[in-house]
Amino acid sequence: MNWKNVLHLIRVEMNWKNVLHLIRIDMKSGRFLRGKRLTRFRESKVFTYVLYGGALVLGLVVGALAGMFYVSASATDPNFAALANQGMLSLFLGLPTLVLIYSLVLTMMQQIQRSGAKFSSQAPYWLPITWGEHTLASILANLFGFPLVSIVFIAPAIILFSTFTGQVVAAAATVLAVCAAAFMASAVTEVFRILQVRFIGAIYKSTGRAAIWVRFVGSLLFFLVFYIVYFYVVSGTGGIYLVQTIASAQSTIWFIPFVWLGMTLYSFLNGLILQGIAFVILSLGFIAALFYVATSLNGRYGLYEPPAITVSRGVYAPKTGLLGRLGFSTTEGALIRKDLKAFSRRRELMVVFILPIVIILAPIMQGLGQMGRPVPPEASSFLVALVFLLPSAAMATMLGTFMIGEEGMTIWRIYSSPISPNSLVKSKYFFIVFFSLAILVVTGTVGFVAFHPSLRTVFVALLESVFLVFTLGSISLSNGIKGADFTEVPRPRMIRTLQSFINLILCFLVASAILFPFAPYLLSSFVPGLAQPLMDLYVAVVLSSIIAAFTTLIFYRISIKNADELLRKAET
Amino acid sequence: MMATDYSSAVEIKRIVKRYGEILALDNVDLSIRSGEIFGLLGPNGSGKSTTMKMLLGLVQPDSGTLSVLGIDVKKDPVAVKRLVGYVPESPRLYEFLTGIEYLDFIGDVYGMQTEAKKARINEYLKALELEGREGDMISSYSEGMKQKVALISAFMYKPKLLILDEPLSGLDPRSARIVKDFLHELKAQGVTTMMSTHVLEIAQAICDRIGIMYHGKLLALGTMDELREMAKLPDSALEDIFLKLTGTGDIRPVVEELLK
Repeated sequence: MNWKNVLHLIRVEMNWKNVLHLIRIDMKSGRFLRGKRLTRFRESKVFTYVLYGGALVLGLVVGALAGMFYVSASATDPNFAALANQGMLSLFLGLPTLVLIYSLVLTMMQQIQRSGAKFSSQAPYWLPITWGEHTLASILANLFGFPLVSIVFIAPAIILFSTFTGQVVAAAATVLAVCAAAFMASAVTEVFRILQVRFIGAIYKSTGRAAIWVRFVGSLLFFLVFYIVYFYVVSGTGGIYLVQTIASAQSTIWFIPFVWLGMTLYSFLNGLILQGIAFVILSLGFIAALFYVATSLNGRYGLYEPPAITVSRGVYAPKTGLLGRLGFSTTEGALIRKDLKAFSRRRELMVVFILPIVIILAPIMQGLGQMGRPVPPEASSFLVALVFLLPSAAMATMLGTFMIGEEGMTIWRIYSSPISPNSLVKSKYFFIVFFSLAILVVTGTVGFVAFHPSLRTVFVALLESVFLVFTLGSISLSNGIKGADFTEVPRPRMIRTLQSFINLILCFLVASAILFPFAPYLLSSFVPGLAQPLMDLYVAVVLSSIIAAFTTLIFYRISIKNADELLRKAET
Repeated sequence: MMATDYSSAVEIKRIVKRYGEILALDNVDLSIRSGEIFGLLGPNGSGKSTTMKMLLGLVQPDSGTLSVLGIDVKKDPVAVKRLVGYVPESPRLYEFLTGIEYLDFIGDVYGMQTEAKKARINEYLKALELEGREGDMISSYSEGMKQKVALISAFMYKPKLLILDEPLSGLDPRSARIVKDFLHELKAQGVTTMMSTHVLEIAQAICDRIGIMYHGKLLALGTMDELREMAKLPDSALEDIFLKLTGTGDIRPVVEELLK
């Protein structure tokens, strides 16, 4: 590392106007919303104001409320102030490292969900923009969204609260350290992004035809690990435990650069000024080194194109599929096969397979692990129901909303082909149901092995899951068609936010209606002394099935109507 | 809904299309005969692509009627699409599929028989020199290779009408020549072609009739001789005729301004 080079890079080679322009391009491409007629783009800043303004206001409110509580609690309990001050110091010490981990996970997740569309990122490469400017813009732009929102929330909250506790200087230093930590995390992500392009390219080259499966399995594992880490950090006691651990353990692991910001605070707050200055220099040096490495790697591999993936060789022989025998036309079969390949080959779509499983299973498993004792029978039934119902229902909901929007700008192919609304809906709906049921089989098996439920419970949970898959799939598909958003950069949007929100509410209400006949059973298992319901369990199943079938049919028809409108008003 | 007896492959009557304040098509009337190669020319934004998309039902007119191969586009767009081969300007293909998978998908969507599909895909791949790369994912193809795949996907199911928006863009000279000759052969078989291009030499060489659009209007329509007569430029090439008819001929001051 030549430090002269680093300084030269930052001082001389940096045109800040270029950096700002590049950040704006990245942000704007994320904010593009399509007009109703899909003929031009319009930009909406409302969401941005709500997001960042909301975080700021929430931070102030939380800080003020905590402060008022501090004042009133200190007045009644003289020991409270000392305890709270100590707790705040622990928080200050752990916060930079916590924000670093949190930002690292979030920026990594943002990166891996980005669209593979090359045209989105290549324009700056032929303009007179240096790699330093490009790298800095990429690092900063990656922080927009939740990493920045969390800082905008944390900063006013702790500074306002610290005015009550008299720790304003410590709080201000923590905010600075938190900002540096977020930058550090994003720089690591930038380094990782460039390296993964290079290494994945090498893997494709060496694995040949198996590359497609290596990519699929590798991406799934990657998603899984990151989501589990994410849930551990942000959910329940995981985050608090982590703060405590970091605050107490970072002195022993001081040699790891990622805790240097925390060590800086620790040193200054304990009056170790020289040590503090040393850690400030080390932290700044580490950030500069990361930036230098990211810029150098970008210069070397930024324009690297991974080698082509060869899926097949030899004489072409079309296959006659099973789908034809299942009653699908050749057009419908072609659409289903195409979607199957899309979801197994497009990295940004693979998240669909992971999200429903992790969102539901991670907290459940974490909760079970923390109990450390056998699960009570009523809780067991409840967990079985959760493991059976939720992942497949979430899968049907997600797939339903994505199935049309995932076409992106290639939607012209659907528009210009002789595909009727019926065929389009039939093939997309089959895909949703098929994959959601596949998830049900997997999670159901896990639930059965983990909780040993009775056969009656399994039977009912299985049937209800199937009802939910069919119904939520048709509701979500109808909304996915109506609110389809074909924007592809920086990541595929699939569905407009408002329509997605409407869909979630609708799905929640209908799912509640389908499961409503089971409400008496749920109450009797959790409220001691409540009489067993008079209605037979299987009557509840039949009632539930009638509600599900009726709703599915209605929304399937709405889907066809919406598809007809979509195809007629194509206007790509 | 399908009609088989038609003398005009395309009938456009008094079509109007507005995008907000922009008048994209202004009372356009156009008739394209069966079996002819028709070239649609015009500067950028003159309404060529909008006209072509309308013929497939991809853009709805505000008023007027459109009929393709005897079928009312508004009433039965799926029947029209079944008979038409379309290549848009800069086509986006499914990049996660291989070339062969994409063509297989197209063959199935258009209901081709398995053996015919296999034979035609292999013939076209060989002719356009894509053999050996057909098993690679399209994401690794060059723009020219993608254009070849798009062209094959429009030709392979033997459509009655071809709507090609800048079909030769990005093609190497050999492939461009093959496509031009192929369009002539298709014409002999009764296939109608409607194409747009900015390369006027190509239009002059292969089109039976040419329509020139400007600001959403069809300014001129006819054979090369008829266009020369209209422009009062006997023995002139299409470029001069085009520039005169569109009123963009006096380009000298523009060049001089740029050189300042």
